[in-house]
Amino acid sequence: MVVLDALNYIKANLDGSLTYRWSCRMGVCGSCGANVDGTPKLTCASFLHEFKGRTINVEPLPNFPVIKDLVVNMEDFMEKLVKIKPWIIREKETPPEQGEYKQSAEELERYQQFSSCINCMLCYSACPIYGLNEKFLGPAATALAYRYIEDSRDQGKNVRFPIVHEMEGVWECTLVGECSVVCPKGVDPMLAIQKTKILGATNAIRSILMPRGGR
Amino acid sequence: MAENKSFPELRRKLTPGWWTANRHYVQYMFREWTSLFVALFSLVYIYGLSLWATGSRNAFLNLLKNPATIAFSFIALIFTLYHAATWFYLLGQVVPMKIGKTTSKPWQALAVNLVLMLIVSYLVIWLLVLR
Amino acid sequence: MAAGVEMRETHKVARLHAVLWGIFSLGGMIAAFLLPVMIYLTGIAYPLGLWPFNGSRDPSFLVTGTLLGMLFVFVTIAGSLFHGIFRFQSALTEVGLLRFKKGLEAVGYFLIFAGIIVLAYYLLVLNPSLPTL
Repeated sequence: MVVLDALNYIKANLDGSLTYRWSCRMGVCGSCGANVDGTPKLTCASFLHEFKGRTINVEPLPNFPVIKDLVVNMEDFMEKLVKIKPWIIREKETPPEQGEYKQSAEELERYQQFSSCINCMLCYSACPIYGLNEKFLGPAATALAYRYIEDSRDQGKNVRFPIVHEMEGVWECTLVGECSVVCPKGVDPMLAIQKTKILGATNAIRSILMPRGGR
Repeated sequence: MAENKSFPELRRKLTPGWWTANRHYVQYMFREWTSLFVALFSLVYIYGLSLWATGSRNAFLNLLKNPATIAFSFIALIFTLYHAATWFYLLGQVVPMKIGKTTSKPWQALAVNLVLMLIVSYLVIWLLVLR
Repeated sequence: MAAGVEMRETHKVARLHAVLWGIFSLGGMIAAFLLPVMIYLTGIAYPLGLWPFNGSRDPSFLVTGTLLGMLFVFVTIAGSLFHGIFRFQSALTEVGLLRFKKGLEAVGYFLIFAGIIVLAYYLLVLNPSLPTL
């Protein structure tokens, strides 16, 4: 049994007004995030036997405004996901008759981990930088941007780099690393942010040393 | 943020003590504050050089022999070594090395770089002091 | 311009900060690999007479003895100073001083650049004729 079952029990038998989000109850939809015993977790993935014999607090996800009970306002998060343009950007679309864009297994491996994000927002709750500064782009959005930057089919670096390399993009991150610790799907946002910083630094140095471009 | 809300939202602010909530946060804060000793030692050294440049070499050496400076150096060394260890571990996390099919683990990066650091330290001593 | 994408929004790439971050990272490498031996030699081995300073020499020769020594001192102290102050100023903004971020940055960068210039100056003053390698 999981914390989500407990919430459903409370709603059914003790307090019908209890308000919370959930959907798939199996850890793939990302709806049921909450602060369980002080840690951001999916309530459907928090087993009650871990807390045997103790009383725990289930609180709304930190760093987000609370609408009611466990329901938080996700709009800032949603805006950031859209902001980094999470779709393949091509300089020129090839017509369908020419076939699909081919990709090798090695090319897939470079970004595959970062495509596993279920948008559960646990990483934003774990990130103190986001808690201190709401303008920070944040773990999931940057990991998603990196997923497209590293996708061999994508040609949108010129579009995405200015977004991730502005001051409130990756530069606010100080490698706390808690985002990667709490991610329920094994995405490593800290790695994505760090790699993006390295891309930003090399780009900046290159643009200073070779202002008229060079490849 | 949505406009025209008819209900108030609860906004919770992070307090300055946010990092005490969790073991990882405490370790993170400790790691970041090692930078204080890295910066302080550098400033103290520059101060020492200023004593020498404007006075005599002995002024610099007497600063080094001062028990307070020795105690500070011990603490600075411990924190600097902790910085080095956490820096190498971070390197292992953000720049994993691929050798064939296997990818390196962070603690391996820590071990390899610590050994490298000891080798570099010995090289510095050999090149600059013993030669 | 990429097909199908309108650039209505403007994003200001933080190019200067990207370079500063690069230098900060280099400083972190320097502080990790070179600072420990520097602290040991200068702050512990010499005053306590430990190896390799068995009574006779003192670390002032690092500054005036050889070009390599001068370079070692400059690179180690300048790199560590940059890294330490950059990171500490950021750490301070995380423990409640975020509203003073601009002020902390100003003080921090002043200390960094003043410190590096002063360090270079002293190294040159104490070495009127360039020593051998």
